[in-house]
Amino acid sequence: MVSNKAGQLTVNRWRRALQGLAALVLVTACSMAHGESLVRYGISMADIPLTTGQPDKGAGGYQFTGHTLYDPLVAWEANIASRPGKLIPGLATEWKPDPQDPRNWRFKLRHGVKFHDGSEFNADAVIWNLQKVLETKAPQFDAKQSAQVRPRIPSILRYRKVDDYTVEITTKEIDALFPFQLPWFLIGSPAQWEKLGHDWAKVALQPSGTGPFRLDRLVPRERAELVRNPAYWDKTRLAKVDRLVLLPIPDALTRANALLNGQVDMIETPPPDVLPQFAASGFRVVQNVTPHVWPYHFSTYPGSPWTDLRVRKAANLAIDRAAIVKLLGGLASPAKGQLDANSPWFGKPSFEIKYDLAAAKALMTQAGYSKAKPLKAKILIAQGGTGQMLSLPMNEFIQQSLAEVGIQVEFEVVELENLYLHWRNGAKADMNAGKGITAINLGYVTADPFYALTRFAYSKYVAPNGVNWGGYSNPKVDDAIDQVKATFDPKAQDRLLAFVHQQMVDDALMLWVVHDTNPHVLSPKVKQYVQAQHWFQDLTTIGL
Amino acid sequence: MTVLATVQAGVLATARPAVHWRHSLIARLLASPASAGSLLLLTLIVGGALLAPWVAPADPYQASMLRRLLPVGSPGFPLGTDEIGRDMLSRLIWGGRLSLLMGVTPVALAFGIGTAIGLVAGYAGGWLNTLVMRVLDVFYAFPSVLLAVAVTGALGPGLNNSILALTLVFIPQVVRIAESATTQVRRLEYVDAARISGASTIAILWQHVLGNVLGPVFVYATGLVSVSMILASGLSFLGLGVRPPEAEWGLMLNTLRSAIYLNPAVAALPGALIFLTSMAFNLLADGLRSALERQG
Amino acid sequence: MLMFVLRRLLYAVPIALGVTVVSFLLVYLAPGDPLNAIAPADAPAEVIEALKVSYGLDRPLPVRYLLWLQRAVQGDLGASIATGRPVSGEVRSAVGNTLLLAGVAAALGVLVGCLAGAVAGYHAGGPLDRLVTALSVVGVSVPHYWLGLVLTIVFSVRLGWLPAMGAGPGGSADWLWDGDHLRHLVLPALTLCVIPLGILSRTVRALVADLMQREFVLALRARGLGEAAILRHVARNAAPTVLAVAGLQLGYLMGGSILVETVFAWPGTGFLLNTAIFQRDIPLLQGVLLVLCLIFVGLNLLVDVLQPVLDPRMVRQ
Repeated sequence: MVSNKAGQLTVNRWRRALQGLAALVLVTACSMAHGESLVRYGISMADIPLTTGQPDKGAGGYQFTGHTLYDPLVAWEANIASRPGKLIPGLATEWKPDPQDPRNWRFKLRHGVKFHDGSEFNADAVIWNLQKVLETKAPQFDAKQSAQVRPRIPSILRYRKVDDYTVEITTKEIDALFPFQLPWFLIGSPAQWEKLGHDWAKVALQPSGTGPFRLDRLVPRERAELVRNPAYWDKTRLAKVDRLVLLPIPDALTRANALLNGQVDMIETPPPDVLPQFAASGFRVVQNVTPHVWPYHFSTYPGSPWTDLRVRKAANLAIDRAAIVKLLGGLASPAKGQLDANSPWFGKPSFEIKYDLAAAKALMTQAGYSKAKPLKAKILIAQGGTGQMLSLPMNEFIQQSLAEVGIQVEFEVVELENLYLHWRNGAKADMNAGKGITAINLGYVTADPFYALTRFAYSKYVAPNGVNWGGYSNPKVDDAIDQVKATFDPKAQDRLLAFVHQQMVDDALMLWVVHDTNPHVLSPKVKQYVQAQHWFQDLTTIGL
Repeated sequence: MTVLATVQAGVLATARPAVHWRHSLIARLLASPASAGSLLLLTLIVGGALLAPWVAPADPYQASMLRRLLPVGSPGFPLGTDEIGRDMLSRLIWGGRLSLLMGVTPVALAFGIGTAIGLVAGYAGGWLNTLVMRVLDVFYAFPSVLLAVAVTGALGPGLNNSILALTLVFIPQVVRIAESATTQVRRLEYVDAARISGASTIAILWQHVLGNVLGPVFVYATGLVSVSMILASGLSFLGLGVRPPEAEWGLMLNTLRSAIYLNPAVAALPGALIFLTSMAFNLLADGLRSALERQG
Repeated sequence: MLMFVLRRLLYAVPIALGVTVVSFLLVYLAPGDPLNAIAPADAPAEVIEALKVSYGLDRPLPVRYLLWLQRAVQGDLGASIATGRPVSGEVRSAVGNTLLLAGVAAALGVLVGCLAGAVAGYHAGGPLDRLVTALSVVGVSVPHYWLGLVLTIVFSVRLGWLPAMGAGPGGSADWLWDGDHLRHLVLPALTLCVIPLGILSRTVRALVADLMQREFVLALRARGLGEAAILRHVARNAAPTVLAVAGLQLGYLMGGSILVETVFAWPGTGFLLNTAIFQRDIPLLQGVLLVLCLIFVGLNLLVDVLQPVLDPRMVRQ
């Protein structure tokens, strides 16, 4: 702005350019004098996730326009790096099931919280937001937000306001794991929607939540500028920077170049081969254990080559995971199952997943296959990769490794969105089984028991009723999952979940390859950033 | 405009009943060092691609993480290794197969189909000509990269789809050249003479017109191969072309991109090969054109 | 002259209509379901059904085309499936950015190409000619996405002189013609300009070399006219062709910047198109395609109409 004004006053073109530059320097200097601290963050998405309340772009979108602008009732502790986070109070200060009927959950709401537009947060706002995503007839219903969050809160049956600061939510069946669904459900301001003429497109540009940041400016596909909300209710989580600019740069190399070039101050998911360059230039790589796994999900329907447990085990033993970690520049950890071995739900599987070529070959021989007489399988993979890591070279490497033990893999490559369609429809659907597709490669978020275990292992969730893609069914597992839902003691829950995971590994439900470590690279200027062991990250921890 | 000028020159140069001009043409072509050099380079690349199983020193699909991104000149890997440790030289030789296939096939298909449509439209004239040319004008109204990307994007990525898309892009261009050449030849005296002497349309087209139209269209098509190579590898680069683990230069350029810091020379190789091949086709087309002009 | 312009205009209308049909149909060639872009992977069936109805995807194809055309004519290209924002708005800002990039690249390419071509043609056969010819072959043969990558590594990463990506410090929304924004333009424009540069220098070289051999030039020279005056004549004779080629090139760059925009994260139509393809965002894909092609048709029309201004003989043809 300043440079523009200065420019209009002069006639000489050179002088104008010089003045423009001078003005820019001035602006920078001024902002420094005023002390406005700024961090520009290059994110891996092609667009800023939805800002209306429920972000799109999967779990990764929540850290950017979800938990920055909004708060959930029950939050996830994301400002700790040294241990896994846990559920903590958000806009609800406490919650517990009714001892008489544990399907009814009471939520006590936080007093004195204001939305960015100044309106009051209360029970009406909670009900209004539930209707916004669950009741198609409600005037504030938004199909887009609904589509994002509805599958993430499948247990909710009905809800009612008890008083101004108490809400009761009833689940469809007894579900002890229900609170884990709530960090996904965010509360926006009903007043703002009223004020903007019931227009969600306008709300997207001027959203109003209760979160630690406010949205100052949104240029679709180019940037979102978040500014600190000084009135945030949780004083321990005030944003450390005044302004946080999110810049979508989907291409990994371009993102890395922008960081090296000083156009941004931090990035997520750097290309591994640029890491030495970052180290040489004094940049800091931050990574942590992350609830994520990158597997091949097998179909076990009749006709699939993976119905034989020996073959599934052989595939798991044929992969040199250390080599893949090397390919990823160390930005991953070898998988020993669906979960990290330190997880409380890991259990004690008898099948140890490791690289053992001889054992893999022996199993294949027993199953009747060899390098000379290979088993053939078609696997569906995504064109641009799964968003994280180097999917393409990883797939090529796995293809090569499986060939060594006599599994000849052919890839069917589709775009990511199309892959999701194949995934949702299940292995039995014509689009998969009909084309001979018997395994699928996607990155899975494994943040909580539902995301990590039950959605893949419970026979009631066999696609298309869920994402138990390959039709896995084990009565012992089903039984354990039924018990978990009715178990409110966390210790007992952990034991049952560990049993489920143990069974999944022993049944070699998937070919587990690596866990992502969700790497970030920070310029020397960015001194503070706490990376949680989750996909939810707390951007208020970013500081100079 | 220049294209049409060339066509005119070409048609006038070659418009004679039955002259064996091809022999002298090749001699003229080889006289130019640029054309001769391009031919040699193309022979090497095409030869390598055709004989890949015998020429390539290693298996282009044999990966090993222990030797990834070795630099050019490493023992056993003269051009280094790629991001998962496959021999670059072998992959580049094998990659020539798909890259050339993707570059040449659309042009060859467009050459055949376009010439046929152009011949018919140009020779028939009248409403048929108008109809054909106006319909093609619609496709001509799409910038070529855009059309290729849009068609491949719509059909879905893959080798066949990108070849189809590129063919669709080139047909209208070839038709224009063929139609304009045919229209000119049709008016020449000896064609009239043949018609009056009772020769059938097919015979006239085959014996008198085609021979004179093929020259300029062929020259034009040679020039298109370069465009096609760049476009085809561009599609692979965007992720719309061939699928992994196939060796193809555009895809290799894409997957090696992030190695540009670790090993710039290796990362630059696929792009350099696309560049060289495309340049060779361009120089060859230039040489053909001027040889054709000088012949008149 | 007026008749000529009218005839050209009338001729452009059916082409424009043809373009709308092709743009509309093209995206339905595709396998796969556009609904996947709106719903997350595990959305329940009833949500998907509701979305289908609200996006009109349950109507027959011809009806959808007519509805789409009717709205398109009024400037309403529908809403992006992925973002819910109006396509026209998304396309407008992207077209502006691409026009900026393609315009600067074309201007640069045409200017330098004409100069180099003229010099080469004037000294046909000399060493300068050889140099220009060689460079122009390089220009038309180099895969520009690769060139862009190499330029980024050299100028923005190794030397740190120029930004590696984006359209300016504040995004494209507040573009200014100041140093900071122009620095963002340099690399993508340079990368993109090699194509028109190569083509223009080849064309102009051929034209000038040819014209210099013509009788009228020899006659002018015999009459004792200075070289400057002769060059003016040559330039006037070459102008219509150069205009036609240059116009075509600008159009090609508008449509062909997709690769360069992807490399430099330039927020233009190519970038948008790429996103639309990978998200299978049909309204967006159609909108971008349609607007770009109509611009191309318009450009051709403009060239057709402008050519006779430079060379009145053309009207009679």
